[in-house]
Amino acid sequence: MIIFFVLPLLLTVVWSVFERTMFWMEPAFTLFSYENFFFSSRLENFLSSMFHSSISVVCAFFIGFPIAIFIRRRVRKVAQHRVMLLFILPFMVSEIIRIFALRPILSRNGVVNSFLMDMNLIESPFSIFVFTPTGVIIGEIVSFLPFMIFSTFLALEAIPNYIFEVCADLGVNRRRMFKDMFLPLAAPGLFAGSVFIFVNGIGIALIPTILGGPGSVNAGLIATQAIIALDFPLAMAVSAIMMFTLMGLLYLGHRLFNLTKLLEPIS
Amino acid sequence: MSLRDDFQPKWKLLLKWGWLSFAVFILMAPTFYTVYISFNELGFGAKYYNFTFQWYENVFSDKQLIGALGWTMLLAIITLPIVIPFGLLSAKLYKQSTHKVWIVFILLSPLFVPADILASALLVFFKNLNKFFTLIGEYTGIYSLDTWFDLGIMTAVIGLIVYTLPYVFVVIMITMARYRNEQTEAARDLGASAWRAFWEIEFPQIRAGVFSACAFVVILTFNEYTRTSLLKGGFDTFTSVLISQMLNTGMSEESYAMASIVSLVAVVIVSAILIITAIKTEELEKKTRTIKEPNK
Repeated sequence: MIIFFVLPLLLTVVWSVFERTMFWMEPAFTLFSYENFFFSSRLENFLSSMFHSSISVVCAFFIGFPIAIFIRRRVRKVAQHRVMLLFILPFMVSEIIRIFALRPILSRNGVVNSFLMDMNLIESPFSIFVFTPTGVIIGEIVSFLPFMIFSTFLALEAIPNYIFEVCADLGVNRRRMFKDMFLPLAAPGLFAGSVFIFVNGIGIALIPTILGGPGSVNAGLIATQAIIALDFPLAMAVSAIMMFTLMGLLYLGHRLFNLTKLLEPIS
Repeated sequence: MSLRDDFQPKWKLLLKWGWLSFAVFILMAPTFYTVYISFNELGFGAKYYNFTFQWYENVFSDKQLIGALGWTMLLAIITLPIVIPFGLLSAKLYKQSTHKVWIVFILLSPLFVPADILASALLVFFKNLNKFFTLIGEYTGIYSLDTWFDLGIMTAVIGLIVYTLPYVFVVIMITMARYRNEQTEAARDLGASAWRAFWEIEFPQIRAGVFSACAFVVILTFNEYTRTSLLKGGFDTFTSVLISQMLNTGMSEESYAMASIVSLVAVVIVSAILIITAIKTEELEKKTRTIKEPNK
């Protein structure tokens, strides 16, 4: 893993300052690729993909966190893992198939619009579900929601049952339980889930390619397009920026919440 | 699965179960819809639904696709015996190590690195390795390493190992969590070698996890596209054929059928694992209850 994962990612920093040649790159020290990224529309696209990913994180929190709390609190201990495993199923189906299949579901003449029109809820079909930023956000939520639920559940699983009982005995209301118990104790899981969704949202090229339409570009797509255009230093600069973003977020999370706590229930 | 005894009104509990089921349904809806369309003779968007196996017959008579299926299977077969022992060793190392943070960081980080970014980095890494070995060849006269990292099966397998190892690690860790290390210590005290203690005492108890990890690796290999397509070189895999069809000609009825085959196989295998695990856990609990409370 050090040779084929850590090393290539670290070396992206070195390759990103190399000079571009016709078909490859040669050793040099130039910041041209970074200039090319930061002083062009690529930065705007990158920031806009960050904004969309942030919205996906917030949506995944509101959908996934109640589910994780529900499974931890209301499902029998023996059945909790089985219910969690239900969320593994979507992960086992290719992401590409799931995202591609969203097109006919969300398109103008797709299932959602047909259903809404059959129910007389709308007169004409919505066209904001695909080939728009909304489409990208929907794609990210459908693709990454299970991870928010897993990581949050893992964090909640470490809470001993007696804490819930003490809260119930003391008559703590739901709002306070959520604010003072669930939220702080689930913080490592919430953070890990959020980083996963955020980083993959700005790094996976497939979702904007399939659901985002022509103007939708993220870091993954910039890197892929740079490789197709044989601009390897630019691709490496984008990879290095992504790597630093990820490392920075994980380091911050670990300092704040100790992310290894997440593995305690299974170790 | 019974609802837990609670002071909440039943309708609220049902509402929460409904929300959970709705989330699972939404996550699986694209897959279900793909399968649904794949059996329609008239395809997507048709007013009527005529059930047919025609699109599946077309898929299985497609030689390019069958070839791609063979390549994908080959990748899975090569990846499996490498990644599973790695996963086992990593899980054991994690349990014994005092530097857990670093192990977790290295093993689970690939989950967080987007596919396109990792694939780009690996692609450039392999190209540079080739140039490095060519340079060594020029100095030493040994040219046999020159083509080691040419894009092909080996590079695709390396990409798959990096991708699947975190999943294998987590699945094996979950099963290992139930194992009590005192059993290994007892076996070692009785004179068993480390390998024998592992093979005869520990492995039978974590076997389910290891087999599940194998299934996950095969499924993930069949579903993986981004890393494999950048690192595979000249041959086609199942998903690369599917994606090129989808991107070049749109979702044809054959595309729906191909996607359904991959999805259904994955769902059936994972469901079978879940059901078997559930049954075995239930049996184990019954046994434990009988031992603890023999008169009940």
